[in-house]
Amino acid sequence: MLEINHLKSRIGDTEILRGMSLSVNAGEVHAIMGPNGSGKSTLAQVIAGHSDYIVTDGSVSYMGKDLLELEPEERAREGIFLGFQYPVEIPGVNNAYLLKAAVNARRKHQGLAEVDAFEFLKIAREKMAMLGMDPKFLNRGVNEGFSGGEKKRNEILQMAMLEPSLAILDETDSGLDIDALRAVAEGINTLRAPDRAIILVTHYQRLLDYIEPDFVHVLSEGKIVRSGDKSLALELEERGYDWVHEAATA
Amino acid sequence: MKPAAFSMEKLREAVRSLPNDALSTTRAAALANLDEHGFPTTRHEDWKYTDLGQAIDISNRWLASGTASTPNESLNKSIAVLTKSIDANWLIISNGLVDTTRFDEDTGIQVDRFSESAAPFIVDRPLADLNAALLQDGLRVQIHTATEKPLGLLVIDEADDGASVSQVNVEIEVAPGCDVEVVEYHCSSGVGDHYSNSVVALNVGEAAIAHYVRIQDRRIGHVQTGRVSIALGKDARLKMASYDVGGGLIRNDIDVDLSEPGADANFNGLYLAGDGQHIDNHTRVDHRVGPASSSQEYRGILSGHSRCVWNGKAIVHKGADGTDANQENHNLLLSENAEIDAKPELEIYADDVKCSHGTTVGQLDEAALFYLRARGLDIQQATEVLTLAFATDLVGRTPVSATRDVVSSLVESRLAKLIADQAS
Repeated sequence: MLEINHLKSRIGDTEILRGMSLSVNAGEVHAIMGPNGSGKSTLAQVIAGHSDYIVTDGSVSYMGKDLLELEPEERAREGIFLGFQYPVEIPGVNNAYLLKAAVNARRKHQGLAEVDAFEFLKIAREKMAMLGMDPKFLNRGVNEGFSGGEKKRNEILQMAMLEPSLAILDETDSGLDIDALRAVAEGINTLRAPDRAIILVTHYQRLLDYIEPDFVHVLSEGKIVRSGDKSLALELEERGYDWVHEAATA
Repeated sequence: MKPAAFSMEKLREAVRSLPNDALSTTRAAALANLDEHGFPTTRHEDWKYTDLGQAIDISNRWLASGTASTPNESLNKSIAVLTKSIDANWLIISNGLVDTTRFDEDTGIQVDRFSESAAPFIVDRPLADLNAALLQDGLRVQIHTATEKPLGLLVIDEADDGASVSQVNVEIEVAPGCDVEVVEYHCSSGVGDHYSNSVVALNVGEAAIAHYVRIQDRRIGHVQTGRVSIALGKDARLKMASYDVGGGLIRNDIDVDLSEPGADANFNGLYLAGDGQHIDNHTRVDHRVGPASSSQEYRGILSGHSRCVWNGKAIVHKGADGTDANQENHNLLLSENAEIDAKPELEIYADDVKCSHGTTVGQLDEAALFYLRARGLDIQQATEVLTLAFATDLVGRTPVSATRDVVSSLVESRLAKLIADQAS
């Protein structure tokens, strides 16, 4: 589904990704771990198409298409979903409006009819109940005045509504208390599907206690320096990132 | 190039040709006043950013071509549509001519024409003299009791070939203790050039409340100068909102006089400007006694080659202790060719005073734009959503609820147009 080949990317004059490669197939859950500044969030932003991140080398193909040629909105409509580390507050834009506009943009692209207001509300309420969200959040401004946990739940709500083919969740566990973490993780688990791939970008392994990844990769200085199964995450937790970094440069 | 001078000679002829009626003395006095002060020019501090050359040019051409105002039948259809769009009791001034035929006689409201009764009180401010000199008729409206529907004032002009000018003058008196709603709606159409000059006086009696909405949706390119002079009585309240969505060269002067204690004036404004538009909002609050409060929030969205001015003056006179004055002006610039001149002006001569002001000028939030695009909205849709969000608060807070649908649809469609023009 996703093929990243020797990808190099910079922001301003700083090179962050330095030739990273990764292959993700449908149905798989990958965890990308690494210390701060290793390039985890950059990877997420590059895949979503943020224009501040300049790709200088390498390629990214998604479902056989050259992803780097597509605008951010085209990527979203093609089924890529980025769960933001810091979801943006947009006062004055109704949460329900954004959800509906997002769902319909994707449906239109797929050649499907727009979802009607009644059906939309019904689905949105179901998904909100699953995530333990109060339905009144639908009528608030997008993320406006939401707590950290509410913002992350809102991201997963958007993901649940959009049913993406590839979801990249950037530090979705950060800033969550244990109840919120459990609710968010359960939400993500119910979205695991044979035709969907999920990439979890995370600093700590605690999210992986709730969501079991098929693969764990360690990113260091813009490259994947080690890959393994879920046991790698536990080993990391025990031995720290220096261990991988030293092993890689030795 | 030397700005064209206003043709005083032709103006005198035009004034002489008007019928001898209750307004004759007023016209003569106004003419003398105009003779002395002339048209404001950019050398005047209050007119620094707004050159009235276009208004002078249209006036000169109109004066040279003979100045008859004729009722325009083609306006009837527009009037029917507009008066239906907001559920109000409508007084109409079309092409400068007063029309009370659509007004439902209401025991609570007395309407008199200047030409048949007393002349208007002359507001001693720039362009009010031009208005009074050329005035054919005007309206004095006295509201004695709260009414079921808002009082509507529709100012509509149809500009045929060539140039036309209309003068509008309305005085509204709100009796003590009344809670009233007033809508002032300006619009125009037609292929010709048009200049509309309006003077509205609103006197709000003791402990009365005036909910006041002013909508300007003139044809792009048409010129309007409009003055609203508001005086609040003891413990009276003003809740006002102005929406400028059309026009070419537009200058609004909102003057609020607080001469009685306990008065509270809240007035907000939204202006949307695109290519070739120049929208100037000058507000002035005179705090003459305390305690009294005033607050204003103006917001602007500018695209293309447009220019807007917001100048908020608050004068706290000597002895006006207990004054609370707050002004805010926020602007969103969608184009690097757009210009805003924002100027708060506080003059404080009293001791116990709370005054604050805040002005911001910014672009669309890039992070919000990317967030929306990452959810599948294209740039144009995301831009529309974010600019509308910037305006939506003021639209939602319209003090006359009967105007909400019209205001939000005018704002939405104008924003969509501005953004589409910007993208092309």
